[in-house]
Amino acid sequence: MKDWFADISAQFKLNFIDGNRWQWLVEGFRTTLIIAFFATILGILIGVLIATIRSTYDKTGESLKKRGGIGVKIFGIADRICKLYLTVIRGTPMVVQLLIMYFIIFKSSTRGTLVAIISFGINSGAYVAEIFRGGIMSVDNGQFEAGRSLGFNYIQTMIYIVIPQMFKIVLPTLCNEFIVLLKETSVAGYVGIRDLTKAGDLIRGRTFSAFMPLIAVALIYLVVVIILTKLVGILERRLRRSDH
Amino acid sequence: MTTEKKALIKVDGLYKYFGSNRVLKGISTEIDAGEVVVVIGPSGSGKSTFLRCLNLLEEPTYGEVWLENKLVTPVDPYLHPDVIELSKTYQSLFASEKAKSNGRTDEEIKAGLIAKIKAEDLLNEKHEGRAYKSLMKKIYSENYINVNLARQKIGMVFQQFNLFANLSIIDNITLAPMKLLKLRRSEAEQRAKTLLERIGLADKAQAYPSQLSGGQKQRIAIVRALAMNPDVMLFDEPTSALDPEMVGEVLEVMKELAKEGMTMVVVTHEMGFAREVGTRVVFIDEGVIQEENTPVEFFSNPESPRLRDFLSKVL
Ligand SMILES: Nc1ncnc2c1ncn2[C@@H]1O[C@H](COP(=O)(O)OP(=O)(O)O)[C@@H](O)[C@H]1O
Ligand SMILES: [Mg+2]
Repeated sequence: MKDWFADISAQFKLNFIDGNRWQWLVEGFRTTLIIAFFATILGILIGVLIATIRSTYDKTGESLKKRGGIGVKIFGIADRICKLYLTVIRGTPMVVQLLIMYFIIFKSSTRGTLVAIISFGINSGAYVAEIFRGGIMSVDNGQFEAGRSLGFNYIQTMIYIVIPQMFKIVLPTLCNEFIVLLKETSVAGYVGIRDLTKAGDLIRGRTFSAFMPLIAVALIYLVVVIILTKLVGILERRLRRSDH
Repeated sequence: MTTEKKALIKVDGLYKYFGSNRVLKGISTEIDAGEVVVVIGPSGSGKSTFLRCLNLLEEPTYGEVWLENKLVTPVDPYLHPDVIELSKTYQSLFASEKAKSNGRTDEEIKAGLIAKIKAEDLLNEKHEGRAYKSLMKKIYSENYINVNLARQKIGMVFQQFNLFANLSIIDNITLAPMKLLKLRRSEAEQRAKTLLERIGLADKAQAYPSQLSGGQKQRIAIVRALAMNPDVMLFDEPTSALDPEMVGEVLEVMKELAKEGMTMVVVTHEMGFAREVGTRVVFIDEGVIQEENTPVEFFSNPESPRLRDFLSKVL
């Protein structure tokens, strides 16, 4: 028993205390949070844009098509670009997208974290767009019609009436998207970014002991995810209670 | 293309199809300033569709809607013989008809052809040629009003109230005047407060729609439309979603509005309202106006069997 305890503490010292290796984990965790956070923001921006274009086309495409003109063509093209984007992003693995971004599209860039944010953001945007589209469709059409009947144009109605209500509906799902991203960014190590997972792996490479660093990494993810999930649950209940 | 008529709203040859479902089949009418037109008819007969075509929430399949001598819908070529005459379809038909004219004059052939083209919907926008297109464009550009601008002048009240769920009552009322009429917040709020006081709901300014009763919501919805100073108000069964004890308070607001001279088009099943407040009652069935008259005549001397049948069921 004593030996076992001594062994554990020796292992702990080796992996985390010596050479201040715990700081690698802290640094890595910081990087993971930065990538997940800003990628979520980017994903939301892309998602709103795409969801707006797509549901605009769904809603007004028919009557626009009848009138003809350049506006319809532009919208038609935009709609098709959006669909292509959704198909490509959702049809290829995240790691492959990241590798392509890092080694082909931004190959002269030395700012790995930024490339990762862009890469994960573009990926997340495809999923968030569909979340938003579902949200927009679940806002009662009467809200939209009331806006139009007062004289608001399509965009104004979306901005003042529909999108605020849509955000309330999808907020919990968006937070979950952040949680998903937090875990997904663990593949950032593929392109040499020192995120939390990579930090654990680096320690393992240095100390030649896998158990401590990898379990530590897993525990950090787990604790953060559990806390965030709890918070989302609270948020969800709050939103449900307030009707406005 | 100036119409001398002073009608506030003019509906000409209005058709609306939803796929193969032919809901409106040729409605023409005029609504003058100050009129309170009550529209009645069996459910599913196209009353809502008619109302929604007036502010283009539904786009008519054929026909035109004019607001204060401005064209709200696209131009309907079938309503303009001079446009039909310029079409390739007409011209090729005319040539072949003339070849076998059998002594008919050009005028007779023309009248026959225009009727035939209308009846059989023979025009095809894409293939009617330049002259046709440019006359269509000319008529449109000389007469049209931007649809959003038109809607600012046409207030609408829905059966389901449709108050903006994300906004407080005061914001519901001030949003459009501020964003569209560019009123300052203080002006818009002053206007909203005056309106709220008139309907006795000044104390609800900061409440949210979900905290109000149906009757309160509908009165706010009316006031929200009024805040835009519309020239005409459309009501689509404004009391049908209400508990019976709340119907009165909403009808009361509408009566006051009528008394002040507001032009109104009201779809309703409240025959008492039609009798008391209406200046004209219109009966829509099978997608056409079957009968229209002053309330007294309408209810005491219904002419068509359909209307008599309908009235015997609802009165
Ligand atoms: N947006 C729509 N799409 C397809 N059909 C519709 C739509 N709106 C109305 N209809 C159909 O048009 C007909 C008339 O409906 P409506 O104008 O609402 O009648 P009313 O208001 O007189 O009860 C009904 O058969 C209805 O199913
Ligand atoms: Mg109806």
